Amino acid sequence: MGVMRLGYAHVRVTDMAEAKNHYANTMGLYETHSDVTAEGAKRTFYKAWDEWDHHSVVLEEGGVGVVKYGWKVQYESDIDEIEAKAQAFGVTVERMSRGENPEIGDGIRFTTPSDHVFEVYHQATLIGTEVGTHNPDSFPRHLVGVGVPALDHSLITAEDPGLMDRFLTEVFDFYATERVQTTLDDDAEIIATWMTSNNQIHQLAVLAGPQGKLHHFAFRLGDWSEVGRAADLFSMDDVPIDVGPTRHGITRGQTVYFFDPSGNRNEVFAGGYLAYPDRPTNVWTPEKLGKGVFYHARELNDAFTSVLT
Amino acid sequence: MPTVTIHPTGEVIFLDPEETVLSGLYKAGYAYTVGCRRGGCGICKVDCREGTFVYNRPIADSVISDEERTDGTCLSCRAVPEGDITIEMRDGDVRLVNKFLRDINERARQRAEALARAQADLASATTSKE
Ligand code: FES
Ligand SMILES: [Fe+2]
Repeated sequence: MGVMRLGYAHVRVTDMAEAKNHYANTMGLYETHSDVTAEGAKRTFYKAWDEWDHHSVVLEEGGVGVVKYGWKVQYESDIDEIEAKAQAFGVTVERMSRGENPEIGDGIRFTTPSDHVFEVYHQATLIGTEVGTHNPDSFPRHLVGVGVPALDHSLITAEDPGLMDRFLTEVFDFYATERVQTTLDDDAEIIATWMTSNNQIHQLAVLAGPQGKLHHFAFRLGDWSEVGRAADLFSMDDVPIDVGPTRHGITRGQTVYFFDPSGNRNEVFAGGYLAYPDRPTNVWTPEKLGKGVFYHARELNDAFTSVLT
Repeated sequence: MPTVTIHPTGEVIFLDPEETVLSGLYKAGYAYTVGCRRGGCGICKVDCREGTFVYNRPIADSVISDEERTDGTCLSCRAVPEGDITIEMRDGDVRLVNKFLRDINERARQRAEALARAQADLASATTSKE
């Protein structure tokens, strides 16, 4: 099956103590490991309650923005296949070995045409969800803060989103569920694309903008009421809310955008329809982009396309 | 306690100690272009024309370049003035969104200035008696 999901987002934070307070106490992630890199940067590893692998979020002290993304594949052999496809696309691929990332197995690493670092791996230390697998309860009783169950997706920027659309299609076997393009013509330019490998509405989205930047990474929630409750908690914890609660026209997801203490944008995201590769791709054109992104305000704010880390 | 003067429109805003320029302006009823409010995105940059400030957190090199650390660029959401400063907005003017806060801030500044004057008078009266 190839890529199953966005396994981890590894991001930079300016102040580890403040970041830990946000990701542990406001978002409710579970710390699974911490260390200091050879260069002396502090790192903290987290998983969410309904995730079983060792970590899904890595914070590294020093700067802002994204260090890299990890993509988990179903079979060991998928790694070789993706390596060959990436090379065929013209990308230089290096091998990474077990332990280069704590509790992550052998894999490959490459820089995408958008200048983001991707790692592909098959093996991660299994910790298990917080409810286990044997006659499990529906959720842990003592969740902290928002208590997000899992990392969901990310949006990055690239000078040529059309090239990334092609790259993810050819190398990861992703397909686009929705696109923003200049016109409905065949030769239209792609302004943004929402891509996935399975029924999840998107695992990675790419928006026109500078190379190598992070727009946001998102955590999953169940429904509208959880999204509203998350926004309430952000007010209690003085987390700057960018937009929401509202709905995205694109994906139909329900959302709040907010910022971590270093200024990296986060999102909580609920819903989104079931994606299928044979479902015709939804297409948005720029005059309705406001509605596509913020279904109720129907207008982009200053920050949406310009605030990146 | 420092004041922030906005050039060229002339608004004067009174800041609490340790307060950032951005939070001071918002507390005084003004709004302007902001993003993350946490020093990460760089959209809140203004120019500092007079006075000095310090950043209350480390700022990523991707947000403030080496050159911007010395050319008067002021990342307003992390900048704490060290005394009175004068700034110039880069991206349109500040907008007054809450005039009640503006009035409260203005009265606080007048009180602080009156107090400073009274203390100065008292000090000079004491010196002249000696
Ligand atoms: S608002 Fe983002 S750096 Fe100040
Ligand atoms: Fe999102």
